[in-house]
Amino acid sequence: MSQVLTLTLKDLRRRLADPAALLVNLAIPLAIAGAMILAFGDIGGGGDSGPAAPKLRLGVVNLDEGFVSELLAGATQNSEAARHMEVRQEPDRESGLKLLRDQEFSALLVIPKGFGSSVLNGRKTSLELIKNPAQSIMPVVAQQITEVGALYASGAAKLLGDAGPRVSAIAESGGWQNAQDIGALAASLAIRFRGVDELMLPPLIEIDETKQDEPAAGASGGFDLISWMFPGMIVMGMIFVGMSQMKDLLRERDAGTMRRQLAGPVGPGTLLISKVLSVGVVVTAACGILMAIGAGAMGIRWGPLLPLAASTSALVLAVTGFSALMFSMVRTERQGDALGGIVTMVMSLLGGAFVPVQIMPAWMLNIARLTVNYWGNETLRALTGGGGWAEVAPYLGVLAVLGLVMTSLGVLLLRRRHLRGAL
Amino acid sequence: MAGDEPEALQVSDVRYSYGKARAVDGVSFSVRRGEIFGLLGPNGAGKTTTISMISGLLPPESGQVLIFGAEATDPSGRARLRMGVVPQEIALYEELSARENLRFWGEIYGLKGASLDKAVNQALEQVGLADRAIERASKYSGGLKRRLNLAIGLVHSPDLLLLDEPTVGIDPQARLRILGLVKAQAAAGRAVLYTSHYLEEAEQICDRIAVVDHGRVLAMGTVAELRRLVGEGPVVTLKGDVSPEQLQMVADRTPGVSLISASGGAASFSASDAAACSGLVRELFAAATKVDDLRVQEPTLEALFLKLTGRELRD
Repeated sequence: MSQVLTLTLKDLRRRLADPAALLVNLAIPLAIAGAMILAFGDIGGGGDSGPAAPKLRLGVVNLDEGFVSELLAGATQNSEAARHMEVRQEPDRESGLKLLRDQEFSALLVIPKGFGSSVLNGRKTSLELIKNPAQSIMPVVAQQITEVGALYASGAAKLLGDAGPRVSAIAESGGWQNAQDIGALAASLAIRFRGVDELMLPPLIEIDETKQDEPAAGASGGFDLISWMFPGMIVMGMIFVGMSQMKDLLRERDAGTMRRQLAGPVGPGTLLISKVLSVGVVVTAACGILMAIGAGAMGIRWGPLLPLAASTSALVLAVTGFSALMFSMVRTERQGDALGGIVTMVMSLLGGAFVPVQIMPAWMLNIARLTVNYWGNETLRALTGGGGWAEVAPYLGVLAVLGLVMTSLGVLLLRRRHLRGAL
Repeated sequence: MAGDEPEALQVSDVRYSYGKARAVDGVSFSVRRGEIFGLLGPNGAGKTTTISMISGLLPPESGQVLIFGAEATDPSGRARLRMGVVPQEIALYEELSARENLRFWGEIYGLKGASLDKAVNQALEQVGLADRAIERASKYSGGLKRRLNLAIGLVHSPDLLLLDEPTVGIDPQARLRILGLVKAQAAAGRAVLYTSHYLEEAEQICDRIAVVDHGRVLAMGTVAELRRLVGEGPVVTLKGDVSPEQLQMVADRTPGVSLISASGGAASFSASDAAACSGLVRELFAAATKVDDLRVQEPTLEALFLKLTGRELRD
């Protein structure tokens, strides 16, 4: 045990004597986070003083002008939607496209002529969404909103069934004033909806309105971009640091210090455990530094202390284990550098560091769940979203299991490599 | 030094292969306390592999390595606690100072507190680094790093010291200092195994030498014993335009002369005395169409190596 401590302290002294690599690895995620936040142009507050989410700017060209399309276009202008979206109607496609090119819109929705009639008559139709290629996230958000809107409209049309054409005929002939037609339609719809009420009512989800004197941490009413993005950057930074520290195994092998220790009274197991331990300590320090920067410079609230400590510990274990596993497979420092950089970036992308995993296709989400980043991001986001033990527990458990499995596997594989004379 | 203490190092018929290439092929020797034993051979002769087996880093495929009677690979590590290893590469932490390096290596050998401080100071004094002890090793010259590399092997006062080419790439002054230090270790009763491909060094400090090549011990004994294997008289080396057949004929018709080696226009002969030597020189000039270089030397380990392997040590 005292040898493990001696070896670990030696590595920590070396890190302190030459902290440049550590600082560079911490700077990478901070720089990326800073660049992305600046790209959105507004890091203002979501609460009174906190950061606010950028609004989705959507252009709508309504070529149909029927009541369905009016409903659809109008739905984007209710008070709740208006907090998150800025919708501007344009008279034609060309003027809409010009404004899209001028970066006025993130996306342009074109409702074609005859859209409402097609929907009510149960015919297939389409909406055209033109995304701004110069932007990354907001056009995707616009696409999601449009897809959800189209899904609901299709569902409503199918529910109307053969009553749909009658609604269409009444609307187009201006027959809304004809009480007889409206009465007949109402009777028909009443019969049609009778079976549906059992499915619809009572609603499974109810909205409870609550009042608070102060907004909860991370629940300031708007989407808090920084609180959402920074956890992803922290996890990415921790993995960068973990990988760069674990590289020390190969550095020691190449410098001959590892052989020299093993020629002395140090066993390979002791050496590997101490290396993993020292990497864990440095990764913990990196996590602490990044969290302190997040709290001090960006006003992020990391939630209650105990769940935070448990989450951080599980995350450190997972990151350290992942680094050990990676370095049980690479042969040279250069390989470690190249593979480490690529794997960290890919895992960060897949794990939702830059875009929400919720907008990913199902197959990609399944892959994301295999990454440390996904579980780490979700854990930290649960905390920045005001969560406590209940919210982080499932993620924390997975992280701890991942960490234990990967650390054990990494140490075993590294030991096997040593016995083969490759380490 | 206990009277019934086993040999400091006993290597018996060890073998090791890297894949299909046999690196060490039945090497045996022993080293006693107070003795400097040299393993002499060119690069790739199997010296470092032998050292790796002795230091427990590689398990011998067959044979046995005993350190003061205990197996080198003994998992308790007792044997290795009595051994100090100075590898060929400079294996130290450049981010740390000489003192920090020595403290770390002393600690892993179980030293602590006042005894650690004393051992560190002593090692620094021995290698002449006391006045630069707090400087980072990365700022040291190659020679100073070599000295620190040696000090790390000495810090826990081992009974057996393994030195793998400790003077590679340093200036003559630093080399002399290191050689003096090695002699002092043996004089203090330590057993020293010293590998080198510098013949002069081996001749200068080793009590006994094993000449190795291609993983085998070709000859073993004191420097005087090994010299006698070459012959008492001088060694004549020639570079020029002479065929191997002509060289053999020259050797055959010159009394007191034998051909040691002949290849690629180079040859070496041993002569029994000065008269045989002058006769050989006359015959060589008569037989050769062109002579580029002709030297007459006293018998050396270089000549022995040439005789045993047919090539120079630095080939």
